[in-house]
Amino acid sequence: MTATSETRIGQDILAALRAKMPHAVTEERWQTNDQVTITVKLNSLPDVVRTLYYEHDGWLSTMVGNDERSINGTYALYYVLSMEGAAKCHVVVHTEISPDSLEFPSVTPSVPAAVWYEREVRDMFGLRPVGLPDERRLVLPDDWPDDLYPLRKDSMDYRFRPEPTEDNENYRFVNDAKQETTVVPLGPLHITSDEPGHFRLFVDGETIIDADYRMFYVHRGMEKLAETRMGYNEVTFLADRVCGICGYAHSVAYASSVENALGIEVPARAQAIRAILLETERLHSHLLNLGLVCHFTGFDSGFMQFFRVREKAMTLAEMLTGSRKTYAINLIGGVRRDILGEQKAATLALIAELRAEVTRLLDILMSTPNFAGRVANVGRLDPQIARDYSPVGPVVRGSGHRRDTRADHPFAGYKLVGLPVNTQAGCDILSRTQVRIAEFYDSIDLIERLLDAAPGGPILTEGFTYRPHRFALGYTEAPRGEDMHWSMTGDNQKLYRWRCRASTYNNWPVLRYMLRGNTVSDAPLIVGSIDPCYSCTDRVTIVDVNKARARTIAYKEMERYCRDRTNSPLK
Amino acid sequence: MLKLLKEVFRTGEATHLYPFAPLEVAKDFRGKPEHNPAQCIACAACTIACPPNAIGMETDPVAGTRTWSISYGRCIFCGRCEESCPTGAIRLTPDFELAVARKEDLTKRAVFKLALCPCCGEPVAAAREVDYVATILAGPDATPDQLARTRELASTCPDCKRRNDVDLLIRMGIERQMEKRI
Repeated sequence: MTATSETRIGQDILAALRAKMPHAVTEERWQTNDQVTITVKLNSLPDVVRTLYYEHDGWLSTMVGNDERSINGTYALYYVLSMEGAAKCHVVVHTEISPDSLEFPSVTPSVPAAVWYEREVRDMFGLRPVGLPDERRLVLPDDWPDDLYPLRKDSMDYRFRPEPTEDNENYRFVNDAKQETTVVPLGPLHITSDEPGHFRLFVDGETIIDADYRMFYVHRGMEKLAETRMGYNEVTFLADRVCGICGYAHSVAYASSVENALGIEVPARAQAIRAILLETERLHSHLLNLGLVCHFTGFDSGFMQFFRVREKAMTLAEMLTGSRKTYAINLIGGVRRDILGEQKAATLALIAELRAEVTRLLDILMSTPNFAGRVANVGRLDPQIARDYSPVGPVVRGSGHRRDTRADHPFAGYKLVGLPVNTQAGCDILSRTQVRIAEFYDSIDLIERLLDAAPGGPILTEGFTYRPHRFALGYTEAPRGEDMHWSMTGDNQKLYRWRCRASTYNNWPVLRYMLRGNTVSDAPLIVGSIDPCYSCTDRVTIVDVNKARARTIAYKEMERYCRDRTNSPLK
Repeated sequence: MLKLLKEVFRTGEATHLYPFAPLEVAKDFRGKPEHNPAQCIACAACTIACPPNAIGMETDPVAGTRTWSISYGRCIFCGRCEESCPTGAIRLTPDFELAVARKEDLTKRAVFKLALCPCCGEPVAAAREVDYVATILAGPDATPDQLARTRELASTCPDCKRRNDVDLLIRMGIERQMEKRI
C-alpha cells in the first residue's frame, strides 16, 4: 500500500525472473513492502513457479483458487512462494483461467509440493490441472456429485449437504512398492490425529514398504462459511476454531492478512501481545507433543508428568486471555486485552516454574534407557524430499532446513526481538523432538524479552476504512509450522475469498516417505512426530494382500503394540 | 527411575478436589453470559455482534412481541455481546458449569413487547427501545409533555412518517408560496 520502490524487498528476484523469461510476467502488484503478486501468462505458470522455487530459494506456502468471474470474468490461481534466500519476501504468482476452458498446466511435475493444492483446487472449483499425475479427489468425498464445486460462487448454499450414496470406501490408495506387500489400513478413523484419516500401510512382514492416506473426512467447510455467513470482523473468531491447539496462530494470521490488505497499522503494543500469546500457545503445544512422545514410546509416567506441567501453560493462557485456549483475543487492528503489571509479574513467575520443572522432566526423559532406541533413526525425512515438498515447522527443521516464519518474515512482535532458529541434522523423530525442546526454552526466553520490550500505548486501531476487493497474505509460525492465510475483501462487509492453510497440511504429503522402511509398530510414533492433533476414537484395519483377507484392529490395540511391541496384531 | 520417583514425591497431589470443592478460575475469566432482561432494550446489537449466531431475535407481529434468545450450546464465550450492549444488559460471568439434562435447557429466552405505531397501529420496534431513544432525543431537561411528543415521533413507523410529512407539507401550502415567488 505505502510501499515505495526503494524499500521494496524482492525486486532483484523479479528482475532476474524477467531477464530469464522476458514475456511471462504481465503485471506486478505490491501488497506490502515484502509481498508482491505477479500475474503471469497461463502457459508459463509451471516455469515461473519452478524458477522461483528452485533457483531463488522459494518454498511453496499455499495455493489459492478463486472464482473471480463476478469481478473480471475469470478464475484465478495464486501460488504463494515464501522466498527464503538473500531477499526474504513473499512472491505470489497469479494466473487467470478462462471459464470456457477451465484448464491450467499443472505445476506438480516440476514442483512436487503443489500436488495437494492442485488436487484441492480441482475438487473445489472444477479447475483441471493438465499433467497432474494424481487424478484422485483430495477434499471431497468420493460419492460427492460430479458437477458440484463447493467454492464456486454460484454453486451452492453453505448449508447444503448432498446425501451420501454409498457406505463403502472406494478411494484408490497408491502403492509404489516393487515387491509383493501386505496392506495395513489404519482408519477410517485415524490414528493419533484429531481429523479422522484413513491410512494404508503396505507392509512386507513387519516392514513398511509404502504408505498412502486419505484425509478430510471432517472437512468443515470453514472457508465457505466465512465467505457467506459471516462479516470479515467475525471471521477472526472462526479462525480461532480452525485448530483446538494452535487456534490463536490462525487468528493472528487471518487478522494480519486483512490488516495487510487494507493497510491497517497495528499498534506496537498489540503486536507484542500477539507474539507473547503465540509463544504461550507454543509452550502448551510442545509440552503436549513431548508428553505424547513419552506415551507412544511406552513411558506413560512421563506422559502424566508432562501433562501435569503443561497445566501451568494453560493457566498462563487463562490468566492472560480469560480463556484456557487463548481464544477470542484478536480483532482486526489489534487485540482486546492488555497485559497489566500484575499479570506481567505473574507470567514471569509461572514461566520460571515451567522452566525448572520441564528441565527436570527432560532430564528424566533423556536418561530413560529405551527412549533413544525408539526415536533415533526412526521416521527419517530425507532433506531432499523435504526440499521438494515444502514441509514446515519442527518437521522441516529436524531435517536440517533453516525455515522459521518468525525469523524469515518477522510478523507481530517478533520484529522487536531477534530469535534463534533451531535445526537438527538427524532427520529422525529424535531430531524433531530436540527441535521442540529447544523451541520450548526459546519460547520462555521470548516471553521474558517481549514483556520487557513491549512499548506502552494503545492496543487497537479503530476507524479504518473497509475497501472492496483488496487482498493480501497473513502468516504466523504456529507450533506445528507456518500457517498461511490469504484474504480478499468483498463489497458487502464480508470476505470474497478466505484461504486458510494450516501447518499440518504441508506436512502430510511427506509422511509417506517418513513411514517407508520402518516397522509397523513405529507407525503411530512416526505419525505422532509430525504433531498432528490427536484423538483416541480411532480404529485400525489390517488387510493381508498375500492371503487376500482384511480385518480391522481397534486403534487401542495398535497403540498398545506401539508401546509394548509384543504380541503383534498382524499375526 | 529414581529421578522419576523423586519427581513424583516432590509433586505430591497434582489433582483438585473438584467437583467436591469449587474450582478457582482466573480473574476476568470469560464464562457463561448472563442476560438481565430488566436492563435490555431489545435493540439487537448483540445479535449482530455474535460471531457464532448464538444470540438471536425473532419478531412475532401478530402477538406484538420480540423474543431474544441465547443458546449456550453455540456460545463461544468471546464477550462481543458484552462489548456491544449499550445498556450493560449482558455480562460474562466466571461460571463454566453449563451442563444441562435436556438440550432445550441450553437456550434462554426473554420476551419483549413491541411498540405500536400511533398512526397505523402496526408494530414498529421494541417498546423499551422506543423509550430509550425518546429519552435520549428529548434530553434530560425535557418536560413530560415534550417527552410524550418525542415518544410519539419515535414510535411512528417510517411509512406513516412519510405520509405525515406529506400531509404537513400540504397544510403548509408550499405550492402556493412557490406560485407567489414566480
